[in-house]
Amino acid sequence: MKILWNECWLEALRVFRNRYFIFWSLIMPIVFYVFYTKVMVQDVGDPKLWEKHLLMSMAAFSVMGSSIMTLGLRLVQERNQGWTTYLKTTPVSGAVYFIAKMAGQTSVHIFTISVIFTSGGLINGISMPAIEWITAGMWILIGAIPFLALGGLIGTMKKSDTASGVSNLIYLALAVTGGMWMPMEFMPKLLQQVAQWIPSYQYAAGAWSIIRGEAPGLVGILVLIAYTVVFMILSIQRRRMQEAI
Amino acid sequence: MTTIIDCMAVGKSFKGKSAVKDLSFQMKKGEVVALLGPNGAGKSTTIQMLLGLMEPSVGRVTISGQNPKLKAVRERIGVMLQEVRLLDTVTVKEILQLVRGYYPRPLSMEQLTRLTGLDESSLNTRTEKLSGGQKQRVSFALALAGNPDMLFLDEPTTGMDAIARKTFWKSIRELAERGTTIIFTTHYLDEVEVAATRVLMMNHGELIEDATPAMMKKKLGMQRISFLTDAVYRPETYQGLAATDIRIDGKKVTILTGNADHSLKILYALELEISEVTVNRGTLEEAYSQLTDSPEVS
Repeated sequence: MKILWNECWLEALRVFRNRYFIFWSLIMPIVFYVFYTKVMVQDVGDPKLWEKHLLMSMAAFSVMGSSIMTLGLRLVQERNQGWTTYLKTTPVSGAVYFIAKMAGQTSVHIFTISVIFTSGGLINGISMPAIEWITAGMWILIGAIPFLALGGLIGTMKKSDTASGVSNLIYLALAVTGGMWMPMEFMPKLLQQVAQWIPSYQYAAGAWSIIRGEAPGLVGILVLIAYTVVFMILSIQRRRMQEAI
Repeated sequence: MTTIIDCMAVGKSFKGKSAVKDLSFQMKKGEVVALLGPNGAGKSTTIQMLLGLMEPSVGRVTISGQNPKLKAVRERIGVMLQEVRLLDTVTVKEILQLVRGYYPRPLSMEQLTRLTGLDESSLNTRTEKLSGGQKQRVSFALALAGNPDMLFLDEPTTGMDAIARKTFWKSIRELAERGTTIIFTTHYLDEVEVAATRVLMMNHGELIEDATPAMMKKKLGMQRISFLTDAVYRPETYQGLAATDIRIDGKKVTILTGNADHSLKILYALELEISEVTVNRGTLEEAYSQLTDSPEVS
Protein backbone atom coordinates (compact mmCIF):
# COMPACT_ATOMS: atom_id res chain seq x y z
CA MET A 1 0.00 0.00 0.00
CA LYS A 2 2.89 2.33 0.82
CA ILE A 3 4.49 1.48 -2.52
CA LEU A 4 1.27 2.34 -4.30
CA TRP A 5 1.03 5.66 -2.52
CA ASN A 6 4.69 6.63 -3.23
CA GLU A 7 4.40 5.62 -6.84
CA CYS A 8 1.13 7.49 -7.22
CA TRP A 9 2.47 10.64 -5.57
CA LEU A 10 5.60 10.69 -7.71
CA GLU A 11 3.54 10.06 -10.82
CA ALA A 12 1.31 13.05 -10.04
CA LEU A 13 4.39 15.16 -9.35
CA ARG A 14 5.85 14.19 -12.71
CA VAL A 15 2.67 15.17 -14.52
CA PHE A 16 2.71 18.62 -12.91
CA ARG A 17 6.33 19.11 -13.91
CA ASN A 18 5.43 18.49 -17.53
CA ARG A 19 5.07 21.78 -19.39
CA TYR A 20 2.91 20.23 -22.14
CA PHE A 21 0.46 19.11 -19.54
CA ILE A 22 0.24 22.55 -17.94
CA PHE A 23 -0.27 24.13 -21.36
CA TRP A 24 -2.76 21.72 -22.91
CA SER A 25 -4.68 20.68 -19.84
CA LEU A 26 -4.79 23.83 -17.75
CA ILE A 27 -4.03 26.94 -19.80
CA MET A 28 -5.68 26.02 -23.11
CA PRO A 29 -9.10 25.08 -21.71
CA ILE A 30 -9.26 28.25 -19.65
CA VAL A 31 -8.14 30.41 -22.59
CA PHE A 32 -10.77 28.78 -24.83
CA TYR A 33 -13.34 29.34 -22.15
CA VAL A 34 -12.60 33.03 -21.86
CA PHE A 35 -12.50 33.37 -25.64
CA TYR A 36 -15.89 31.75 -26.24
CA THR A 37 -17.72 33.38 -23.34
CA LYS A 38 -16.15 36.85 -23.30
CA VAL A 39 -14.68 37.62 -26.71
CA MET A 40 -16.53 35.67 -29.37
CA VAL A 41 -19.92 35.21 -27.79
CA GLN A 42 -22.22 33.12 -29.97
CA ASP A 43 -25.97 33.42 -30.02
CA VAL A 44 -26.96 30.25 -28.24
CA GLY A 45 -30.05 31.30 -26.38
CA ASP A 46 -29.66 31.40 -22.61
CA PRO A 47 -26.17 32.86 -22.05
CA LYS A 48 -25.94 31.63 -18.42
CA LEU A 49 -26.70 28.08 -19.50
CA TRP A 50 -24.16 28.34 -22.33
CA GLU A 51 -21.48 29.46 -19.87
CA LYS A 52 -22.15 26.45 -17.67
CA HIS A 53 -22.39 24.16 -20.69
CA LEU A 54 -19.05 25.32 -22.08
CA LEU A 55 -17.37 25.05 -18.69
CA MET A 56 -18.31 21.36 -18.61
CA SER A 57 -17.02 20.98 -22.17
CA MET A 58 -13.69 22.50 -21.25
CA ALA A 59 -13.23 20.41 -18.11
CA ALA A 60 -14.06 17.28 -20.11
CA PHE A 61 -11.73 18.42 -22.90
CA SER A 62 -8.89 18.85 -20.44
CA VAL A 63 -9.31 15.56 -18.61
CA MET A 64 -9.86 13.61 -21.83
CA GLY A 65 -6.66 15.09 -23.21
CA SER A 66 -4.43 14.23 -20.31
CA SER A 67 -5.96 10.73 -20.12
CA ILE A 68 -5.15 10.02 -23.75
CA MET A 69 -1.84 11.81 -24.03
CA THR A 70 -0.01 11.72 -20.73
CA LEU A 71 -0.64 8.13 -19.74
CA GLY A 72 -0.09 6.58 -23.18
CA LEU A 73 3.10 8.49 -23.88
CA ARG A 74 4.52 7.72 -20.45
CA LEU A 75 3.98 4.01 -20.99
CA VAL A 76 5.65 4.04 -24.41
CA GLN A 77 8.60 6.09 -23.19
CA GLU A 78 9.22 4.04 -20.09
CA ARG A 79 9.13 0.84 -22.09
CA ASN A 80 11.45 2.13 -24.81
CA GLN A 81 13.89 3.55 -22.29
CA GLY A 82 14.18 0.24 -20.47
CA TRP A 83 12.66 1.48 -17.22
CA THR A 84 9.88 -1.09 -17.48
CA THR A 85 12.52 -3.81 -17.88
CA TYR A 86 14.36 -2.53 -14.83
CA LEU A 87 11.14 -2.61 -12.80
CA LYS A 88 10.72 -6.28 -13.66
CA THR A 89 13.89 -7.00 -11.70
CA THR A 90 12.46 -5.30 -8.60
CA PRO A 91 9.80 -6.75 -6.28
CA VAL A 92 7.17 -4.35 -7.66
CA SER A 93 4.52 -6.09 -9.71
CA GLY A 94 3.37 -4.83 -13.08
CA ALA A 95 -0.14 -4.45 -11.72
CA VAL A 96 0.94 -2.10 -8.92
CA TYR A 97 2.91 -0.03 -11.42
CA PHE A 98 -0.08 0.25 -13.71
CA ILE A 99 -2.60 0.97 -10.96
CA ALA A 100 -0.29 3.62 -9.50
CA LYS A 101 -0.04 5.28 -12.90
CA MET A 102 -3.84 5.34 -13.16
CA ALA A 103 -4.27 6.58 -9.61
CA GLY A 104 -1.65 9.29 -10.08
CA GLN A 105 -3.40 10.37 -13.23
CA THR A 106 -6.76 10.43 -11.44
CA SER A 107 -5.46 12.63 -8.65
CA VAL A 108 -4.11 15.00 -11.28
CA HIS A 109 -7.59 15.04 -12.83
CA ILE A 110 -9.19 15.95 -9.51
CA PHE A 111 -6.85 18.90 -9.41
CA THR A 112 -7.49 20.04 -13.00
CA ILE A 113 -11.26 19.75 -12.62
CA SER A 114 -11.11 21.86 -9.47
CA VAL A 115 -8.95 24.50 -11.14
CA ILE A 116 -11.10 24.74 -14.27
CA PHE A 117 -14.37 24.77 -12.33
CA THR A 118 -13.08 27.43 -9.96
CA SER A 119 -11.66 29.68 -12.65
CA GLY A 120 -14.79 29.29 -14.80
CA GLY A 121 -16.97 30.01 -11.84
CA LEU A 122 -15.00 33.15 -11.04
CA ILE A 123 -14.72 34.40 -14.61
CA ASN A 124 -18.44 34.23 -15.33
CA GLY A 125 -19.84 34.18 -11.82
CA ILE A 126 -21.48 30.81 -12.34
CA SER A 127 -23.60 29.58 -9.50
CA MET A 128 -24.89 26.04 -9.28
CA PRO A 129 -26.08 23.91 -6.38
CA ALA A 130 -23.12 22.22 -4.70
CA ILE A 131 -24.53 18.81 -5.60
CA GLU A 132 -24.38 19.70 -9.30
CA TRP A 133 -20.77 20.85 -9.10
CA ILE A 134 -19.82 17.65 -7.30
CA THR A 135 -21.73 15.22 -9.51
CA ALA A 136 -20.50 16.97 -12.67
CA GLY A 137 -16.93 16.75 -11.36
CA MET A 138 -17.37 13.08 -10.46
CA TRP A 139 -18.83 12.34 -13.88
CA ILE A 140 -15.88 13.97 -15.63
CA LEU A 141 -13.47 12.08 -13.38
CA ILE A 142 -15.03 8.64 -13.76
CA GLY A 143 -16.21 9.12 -17.32
CA ALA A 144 -12.54 9.50 -18.29
CA ILE A 145 -11.99 5.74 -17.86
CA PRO A 146 -12.50 4.90 -21.56
CA PHE A 147 -9.95 7.57 -22.45
CA LEU A 148 -7.48 6.19 -19.92
CA ALA A 149 -8.00 2.82 -21.57
CA LEU A 150 -7.38 4.50 -24.94
CA GLY A 151 -4.18 5.96 -23.46
CA GLY A 152 -3.22 2.45 -22.40
CA LEU A 153 -3.84 1.23 -25.95
CA ILE A 154 -1.68 4.04 -27.37
CA GLY A 155 0.85 2.96 -24.74
CA THR A 156 1.36 -0.32 -26.61
CA MET A 157 2.77 1.52 -29.64
CA LYS A 158 6.43 0.96 -30.37
CA LYS A 159 7.74 4.46 -31.05
CA SER A 160 7.02 7.45 -28.87
CA ASP A 161 6.95 9.79 -31.89
CA THR A 162 4.18 7.76 -33.50
CA ALA A 163 2.34 7.55 -30.21
CA SER A 164 2.59 11.29 -29.72
CA GLY A 165 1.36 12.08 -33.23
CA VAL A 166 -1.48 9.59 -33.11
CA SER A 167 -2.65 10.65 -29.67
CA ASN A 168 -2.67 14.34 -30.63
CA LEU A 169 -4.71 13.57 -33.72
CA ILE A 170 -7.22 11.41 -31.88
CA TYR A 171 -7.50 13.96 -29.10
CA LEU A 172 -8.30 16.89 -31.38
CA ALA A 173 -10.64 14.80 -33.56
CA LEU A 174 -12.53 13.62 -30.48
CA ALA A 175 -12.74 17.16 -29.09
CA VAL A 176 -14.24 18.56 -32.30
CA THR A 177 -16.59 15.68 -33.13
CA GLY A 178 -17.71 15.46 -29.52
CA GLY A 179 -19.00 19.03 -29.62
CA MET A 180 -16.58 20.19 -26.93
CA TRP A 181 -15.53 23.28 -28.85
CA MET A 182 -18.79 24.09 -30.54
CA PRO A 183 -22.35 23.06 -29.76
CA MET A 184 -23.55 20.06 -31.75
CA GLU A 185 -26.35 22.11 -33.33
CA PHE A 186 -23.72 24.04 -35.31
CA MET A 187 -22.14 20.87 -36.66
CA PRO A 188 -22.87 19.19 -40.02
CA LYS A 189 -26.02 17.05 -40.11
CA LEU A 190 -24.12 13.83 -40.70
CA LEU A 191 -21.99 14.34 -37.60
CA GLN A 192 -25.05 15.10 -35.51
CA GLN A 193 -26.51 11.76 -36.54
CA VAL A 194 -23.48 9.70 -35.53
CA ALA A 195 -22.58 11.84 -32.50
CA GLN A 196 -24.15 9.53 -29.98
CA TRP A 197 -21.70 6.80 -30.98
CA ILE A 198 -18.71 9.05 -30.39
CA PRO A 199 -17.26 8.55 -26.88
CA SER A 200 -16.21 12.16 -26.41
CA TYR A 201 -19.74 13.35 -27.18
CA GLN A 202 -21.30 10.98 -24.67
CA TYR A 203 -18.66 11.92 -22.13
CA ALA A 204 -19.37 15.64 -22.39
CA ALA A 205 -23.12 15.06 -22.78
CA GLY A 206 -23.24 13.41 -19.36
CA ALA A 207 -21.90 16.58 -17.76
CA TRP A 208 -24.21 18.75 -19.86
CA SER A 209 -27.18 16.76 -18.55
CA ILE A 210 -26.06 17.14 -14.95
CA ILE A 211 -25.87 20.94 -15.10
CA ARG A 212 -29.38 20.96 -16.58
CA GLY A 213 -30.54 19.05 -13.53
CA GLU A 214 -30.91 15.78 -15.43
CA ALA A 215 -29.21 12.43 -15.00
CA PRO A 216 -26.76 11.28 -17.73
CA GLY A 217 -28.51 9.09 -20.29
CA LEU A 218 -28.26 5.32 -20.05
CA VAL A 219 -27.24 5.03 -23.72
CA GLY A 220 -24.32 7.34 -23.03
CA ILE A 221 -23.12 5.28 -20.08
CA LEU A 222 -23.39 2.08 -22.11
CA VAL A 223 -21.49 3.59 -25.03
CA LEU A 224 -18.66 4.66 -22.69
CA ILE A 225 -18.52 1.21 -21.08
CA ALA A 226 -18.44 -0.44 -24.49
CA TYR A 227 -15.50 1.73 -25.60
CA THR A 228 -13.65 0.94 -22.36
CA VAL A 229 -14.06 -2.79 -22.94
CA VAL A 230 -12.98 -2.57 -26.57
CA PHE A 231 -9.88 -0.48 -25.80
CA MET A 232 -8.90 -2.80 -22.95
CA ILE A 233 -9.29 -5.94 -25.03
CA LEU A 234 -7.27 -4.41 -27.84
CA SER A 235 -4.42 -3.34 -25.58
CA ILE A 236 -4.32 -6.70 -23.78
CA GLN A 237 -4.17 -8.42 -27.17
CA ARG A 238 -1.40 -6.15 -28.41
CA ARG A 239 0.59 -6.69 -25.21
CA ARG A 240 0.24 -10.46 -25.56
CA MET A 241 1.41 -10.30 -29.15
CA GLN A 242 4.44 -8.24 -28.20
CA GLU A 243 5.41 -10.53 -25.35
CA ALA A 244 5.12 -13.61 -27.56
CA ILE A 245 7.98 -12.41 -29.75
CA MET B 1 29.36 -22.93 0.78
CA THR B 2 25.87 -22.82 -0.59
CA THR B 3 25.09 -22.57 -4.28
CA ILE B 4 23.30 -19.31 -5.00
CA ILE B 5 23.02 -19.24 -8.76
CA ASP B 6 22.53 -22.43 -10.69
CA CYS B 7 22.52 -22.26 -14.45
CA MET B 8 21.67 -25.70 -15.86
CA ALA B 9 22.32 -26.53 -19.52
CA VAL B 10 20.80 -23.25 -20.60
CA GLY B 11 20.41 -22.33 -24.24
CA LYS B 12 18.72 -19.47 -26.03
CA SER B 13 18.04 -18.96 -29.68
CA PHE B 14 16.50 -16.04 -31.50
CA LYS B 15 14.74 -16.85 -34.76
CA GLY B 16 16.72 -20.06 -35.14
CA LYS B 17 20.06 -18.35 -34.40
CA SER B 18 21.53 -19.51 -31.16
CA ALA B 19 22.87 -16.81 -28.83
CA VAL B 20 23.74 -19.06 -25.89
CA LYS B 21 24.53 -22.76 -26.14
CA ASP B 22 24.46 -25.36 -23.39
CA LEU B 23 25.65 -23.04 -20.64
CA SER B 24 26.15 -24.60 -17.21
CA PHE B 25 27.76 -23.06 -14.17
CA GLN B 26 27.13 -22.50 -10.50
CA MET B 27 27.93 -19.59 -8.27
CA LYS B 28 28.52 -19.91 -4.57
CA LYS B 29 27.71 -17.37 -1.91
CA GLY B 30 30.22 -14.52 -1.82
CA GLU B 31 31.78 -15.21 -5.20
CA VAL B 32 32.58 -12.28 -7.45
CA VAL B 33 32.41 -13.48 -11.03
CA ALA B 34 33.58 -11.53 -14.06
CA LEU B 35 31.72 -12.64 -17.16
CA LEU B 36 33.91 -11.85 -20.14
CA GLY B 37 33.77 -12.24 -23.87
CA PRO B 38 33.79 -10.28 -27.11
CA ASN B 39 30.70 -8.37 -28.26
CA GLY B 40 27.96 -10.78 -29.23
CA ALA B 41 29.38 -13.58 -27.10
CA GLY B 42 26.08 -13.92 -25.23
CA LYS B 43 26.94 -12.19 -21.96
CA SER B 44 23.94 -9.87 -21.79
CA THR B 45 21.61 -12.65 -22.90
CA THR B 46 23.02 -14.79 -20.10
CA ILE B 47 22.48 -12.06 -17.49
CA GLN B 48 18.92 -11.53 -18.71
CA MET B 49 18.19 -15.24 -18.40
CA LEU B 50 19.71 -15.38 -14.91
CA LEU B 51 17.32 -12.59 -13.98
CA GLY B 52 14.30 -14.24 -15.57
CA LEU B 53 13.86 -11.31 -17.94
CA MET B 54 14.30 -13.72 -20.79
CA GLU B 55 13.03 -17.28 -20.85
CA PRO B 56 15.73 -19.84 -21.84
CA SER B 57 14.85 -21.90 -24.92
CA VAL B 58 16.25 -24.95 -23.11
CA GLY B 59 17.58 -25.57 -19.62
CA ARG B 60 16.77 -23.90 -16.34
CA VAL B 61 18.05 -21.16 -14.04
CA THR B 62 17.50 -21.07 -10.29
CA ILE B 63 18.52 -18.51 -7.70
CA SER B 64 18.75 -19.99 -4.20
CA GLY B 65 16.89 -22.95 -5.67
CA GLN B 66 13.98 -20.76 -6.74
CA ASN B 67 12.59 -19.33 -9.93
CA PRO B 68 14.31 -15.95 -10.50
CA LYS B 69 10.95 -14.35 -11.24
CA LEU B 70 9.66 -14.86 -7.70
CA LYS B 71 9.12 -11.82 -5.53
CA ALA B 72 11.16 -13.45 -2.74
CA VAL B 73 14.15 -13.58 -5.12
CA ARG B 74 13.63 -10.05 -6.45
CA GLU B 75 13.71 -8.67 -2.94
CA ARG B 76 17.25 -9.98 -2.55
CA ILE B 77 18.84 -8.94 -5.84
CA GLY B 78 20.19 -5.69 -7.23
CA VAL B 79 20.56 -5.08 -10.93
CA MET B 80 22.33 -2.74 -13.34
CA LEU B 81 21.30 -3.36 -16.92
CA GLN B 82 22.57 -1.84 -20.13
CA GLU B 83 20.27 0.52 -21.98
CA VAL B 84 18.12 1.51 -19.04
CA ARG B 85 17.38 5.19 -18.94
CA LEU B 86 16.33 6.57 -15.59
CA LEU B 87 12.80 7.76 -15.04
CA ASP B 88 12.79 11.47 -15.97
CA THR B 89 11.29 14.63 -14.44
CA VAL B 90 12.19 13.35 -10.96
CA THR B 91 15.17 14.21 -8.79
CA VAL B 92 17.77 11.62 -7.85
CA LYS B 93 16.55 11.71 -4.26
CA GLU B 94 12.96 11.09 -5.31
CA ILE B 95 13.80 8.13 -7.51
CA LEU B 96 16.01 6.59 -4.80
CA GLN B 97 13.29 7.00 -2.17
CA LEU B 98 10.76 5.46 -4.54
CA VAL B 99 12.88 2.40 -5.27
CA ARG B 100 13.97 1.99 -1.64
CA GLY B 101 10.28 1.73 -0.86
CA TYR B 102 10.01 -1.38 -3.05
CA TYR B 103 12.15 -3.45 -0.67
CA PRO B 104 11.51 -4.80 2.81
CA ARG B 105 14.95 -3.91 4.23
CA PRO B 106 16.38 -1.04 2.15
CA LEU B 107 19.80 0.52 2.63
CA SER B 108 19.70 3.93 4.29
CA MET B 109 20.14 7.02 2.13
CA GLU B 110 23.41 7.74 3.97
CA GLN B 111 24.84 4.34 3.05
CA LEU B 112 23.65 4.68 -0.54
CA THR B 113 25.25 8.06 -1.04
CA ARG B 114 28.47 6.89 0.59
CA LEU B 115 28.76 3.71 -1.48
CA THR B 116 27.96 5.43 -4.76
CA GLY B 117 29.69 8.77 -4.11
CA LEU B 118 26.58 10.77 -4.97
CA ASP B 119 26.80 14.22 -3.42
CA GLU B 120 24.08 16.46 -2.04
CA SER B 121 23.84 18.60 -5.16
CA SER B 122 23.33 15.64 -7.49
CA LEU B 123 20.71 14.23 -5.12
CA ASN B 124 18.61 17.31 -5.81
CA THR B 125 19.19 17.26 -9.56
CA ARG B 126 16.62 15.95 -12.02
CA THR B 127 17.80 12.69 -13.59
CA GLU B 128 17.62 14.01 -17.17
CA LYS B 129 20.15 16.73 -16.32
CA LEU B 130 22.87 14.36 -15.04
CA SER B 131 26.04 13.51 -16.95
CA GLY B 132 26.52 9.98 -18.23
CA GLY B 133 28.82 9.08 -15.34
CA GLN B 134 26.43 10.50 -12.74
CA LYS B 135 23.59 8.50 -14.28
CA GLN B 136 25.64 5.34 -13.85
CA ARG B 137 26.17 6.21 -10.20
CA VAL B 138 22.43 6.58 -9.77
CA SER B 139 21.87 3.24 -11.51
CA PHE B 140 24.34 1.70 -9.09
CA ALA B 141 22.48 3.30 -6.18
CA LEU B 142 19.24 1.82 -7.51
CA ALA B 143 20.88 -1.61 -7.64
CA LEU B 144 21.96 -1.25 -4.00
CA ALA B 145 18.70 0.31 -2.78
CA GLY B 146 17.23 -2.95 -1.50
CA ASN B 147 20.39 -3.99 0.38
CA PRO B 148 20.80 -6.98 -1.96
CA ASP B 149 22.54 -10.32 -1.30
CA MET B 150 23.25 -10.65 -5.02
CA LEU B 151 24.29 -8.12 -7.63
CA PHE B 152 23.95 -8.53 -11.40
CA LEU B 153 25.92 -5.82 -13.17
CA ASP B 154 25.97 -5.63 -16.96
CA GLU B 155 28.83 -3.31 -17.98
CA PRO B 156 28.41 -1.20 -14.86
CA THR B 157 31.28 1.21 -15.48
CA THR B 158 30.41 2.23 -19.05
CA GLY B 159 30.34 6.02 -19.15
CA MET B 160 31.96 6.48 -15.74
CA ASP B 161 34.98 8.71 -15.40
CA ALA B 162 38.13 7.54 -13.61
CA ILE B 163 37.03 8.80 -10.18
CA ALA B 164 33.56 7.32 -10.42
CA ARG B 165 35.08 4.03 -11.52
CA LYS B 166 37.42 4.00 -8.56
CA THR B 167 34.63 4.67 -6.07
CA PHE B 168 32.57 2.02 -7.77
CA TRP B 169 35.13 -0.78 -7.44
CA LYS B 170 35.99 0.24 -3.91
CA SER B 171 32.36 -0.21 -2.97
CA ILE B 172 32.13 -3.49 -4.86
CA ARG B 173 35.06 -4.82 -2.82
CA GLU B 174 33.41 -3.64 0.37
CA LEU B 175 30.18 -5.39 -0.58
CA ALA B 176 32.08 -8.54 -1.53
CA GLU B 177 33.73 -8.54 1.90
CA ARG B 178 30.27 -8.41 3.45
CA GLY B 179 29.43 -11.59 1.52
CA THR B 180 27.46 -10.17 -1.40
CA THR B 181 27.46 -12.49 -4.40
CA ILE B 182 28.31 -10.53 -7.54
CA ILE B 183 28.37 -11.21 -11.27
CA PHE B 184 29.48 -8.49 -13.69
CA THR B 185 30.48 -8.00 -17.29
CA THR B 186 33.19 -5.60 -18.38
CA HIS B 187 35.48 -4.59 -21.20
CA TYR B 188 38.38 -3.70 -18.93
CA LEU B 189 40.94 -6.26 -17.85
CA ASP B 190 42.13 -4.22 -14.86
CA GLU B 191 38.59 -4.29 -13.44
CA VAL B 192 38.67 -8.06 -13.54
CA GLU B 193 41.88 -8.15 -11.53
CA VAL B 194 40.67 -5.62 -9.02
CA ALA B 195 37.37 -7.21 -8.20
CA ALA B 196 36.80 -10.75 -9.43
CA THR B 197 37.44 -14.00 -7.59
CA ARG B 198 36.56 -16.02 -10.66
CA VAL B 199 36.39 -15.43 -14.38
CA LEU B 200 33.93 -16.96 -16.81
CA MET B 201 34.62 -16.40 -20.45
CA MET B 202 32.17 -16.82 -23.28
CA ASN B 203 32.61 -16.86 -27.02
CA HIS B 204 29.96 -17.54 -29.64
CA GLY B 205 27.43 -18.28 -26.90
CA GLU B 206 29.55 -20.95 -25.24
CA LEU B 207 31.44 -21.01 -21.99
CA ILE B 208 35.08 -21.42 -22.99
CA GLU B 209 36.91 -20.66 -19.75
CA ASP B 210 36.21 -20.96 -16.04
CA ALA B 211 39.32 -19.82 -14.20
CA THR B 212 40.82 -17.62 -11.51
CA PRO B 213 41.78 -14.06 -12.46
CA ALA B 214 45.47 -14.98 -12.11
CA MET B 215 45.16 -17.83 -14.59
CA MET B 216 43.15 -15.63 -16.88
CA LYS B 217 45.65 -12.85 -16.71
CA LYS B 218 48.38 -15.21 -17.76
CA LYS B 219 46.28 -16.33 -20.65
CA LEU B 220 44.90 -12.96 -21.63
CA GLY B 221 47.38 -10.57 -20.10
CA MET B 222 48.84 -9.46 -23.37
CA GLN B 223 51.42 -6.73 -23.23
CA ARG B 224 51.96 -4.25 -25.99
CA ILE B 225 55.48 -3.12 -26.87
CA SER B 226 55.60 -0.22 -29.26
CA PHE B 227 58.48 1.82 -30.66
CA LEU B 228 59.39 4.11 -33.54
CA THR B 229 61.89 3.33 -36.23
CA ASP B 230 63.10 5.24 -39.28
CA ALA B 231 64.46 2.15 -40.94
CA VAL B 232 61.99 -0.06 -42.79
CA TYR B 233 62.33 -3.52 -41.36
CA ARG B 234 60.34 -6.39 -42.75
CA PRO B 235 58.01 -8.21 -40.32
CA GLU B 236 60.33 -11.21 -40.44
CA THR B 237 62.91 -9.13 -38.62
CA TYR B 238 60.86 -9.41 -35.46
CA GLN B 239 60.48 -13.15 -35.59
CA GLY B 240 61.80 -14.78 -32.48
CA LEU B 241 60.30 -12.09 -30.22
CA ALA B 242 57.68 -14.54 -28.95
CA ALA B 243 55.10 -12.12 -30.34
CA THR B 244 51.53 -13.15 -30.93
CA ASP B 245 50.92 -10.23 -33.26
CA ILE B 246 53.00 -7.62 -35.03
CA ARG B 247 51.59 -4.43 -36.52
CA ILE B 248 53.61 -2.01 -38.60
CA ASP B 249 52.06 1.38 -39.22
CA GLY B 250 54.56 3.67 -40.94
CA LYS B 251 57.25 4.44 -38.41
CA LYS B 252 55.34 2.89 -35.55
CA VAL B 253 55.71 -0.78 -34.73
CA THR B 254 53.50 -2.54 -32.21
CA ILE B 255 54.19 -5.99 -30.88
CA LEU B 256 51.75 -7.99 -28.78
CA THR B 257 53.34 -10.51 -26.50
CA GLY B 258 52.59 -12.66 -23.50
CA ASN B 259 56.00 -12.04 -22.00
CA ALA B 260 57.29 -8.51 -22.43
CA ASP B 261 60.52 -9.03 -20.49
CA HIS B 262 61.59 -11.83 -22.75
CA SER B 263 60.56 -10.01 -25.92
CA LEU B 264 62.38 -6.84 -24.92
CA LYS B 265 65.58 -8.75 -24.23
CA ILE B 266 65.52 -10.22 -27.71
CA LEU B 267 64.50 -6.90 -29.27
CA TYR B 268 67.51 -5.10 -27.79
CA ALA B 269 69.80 -7.99 -28.74
CA LEU B 270 68.80 -7.35 -32.37
CA GLU B 271 70.43 -3.90 -32.09
CA LEU B 272 67.91 -2.21 -34.36
CA GLU B 273 67.59 1.53 -35.00
CA ILE B 274 64.62 2.07 -32.69
CA SER B 275 63.49 4.77 -30.29
CA GLU B 276 60.74 5.60 -27.79
CA VAL B 277 60.10 2.08 -26.61
CA THR B 278 56.99 1.78 -24.45
CA VAL B 279 55.35 -1.19 -22.82
CA ASN B 280 51.60 -1.19 -22.16
CA ARG B 281 49.10 -3.61 -20.83
CA GLY B 282 47.09 -4.99 -23.76
CA THR B 283 43.31 -4.57 -23.77
CA LEU B 284 40.73 -7.29 -23.44
CA GLU B 285 39.67 -6.62 -27.03
CA GLU B 286 43.16 -7.53 -28.19
CA ALA B 287 43.01 -10.71 -26.17
CA TYR B 288 39.62 -11.55 -27.66
CA SER B 289 40.85 -11.04 -31.16
CA GLN B 290 43.57 -13.56 -30.36
CA LEU B 291 40.95 -15.96 -29.13
CA THR B 292 38.64 -15.56 -32.07
CA ASP B 293 41.47 -15.75 -34.57
CA SER B 294 42.71 -19.04 -33.20
CA PRO B 295 39.87 -21.54 -32.82
CA GLU B 296 42.13 -24.10 -31.14
CA VAL B 297 42.24 -21.97 -27.98
CA SER B 298 39.01 -23.40 -26.62
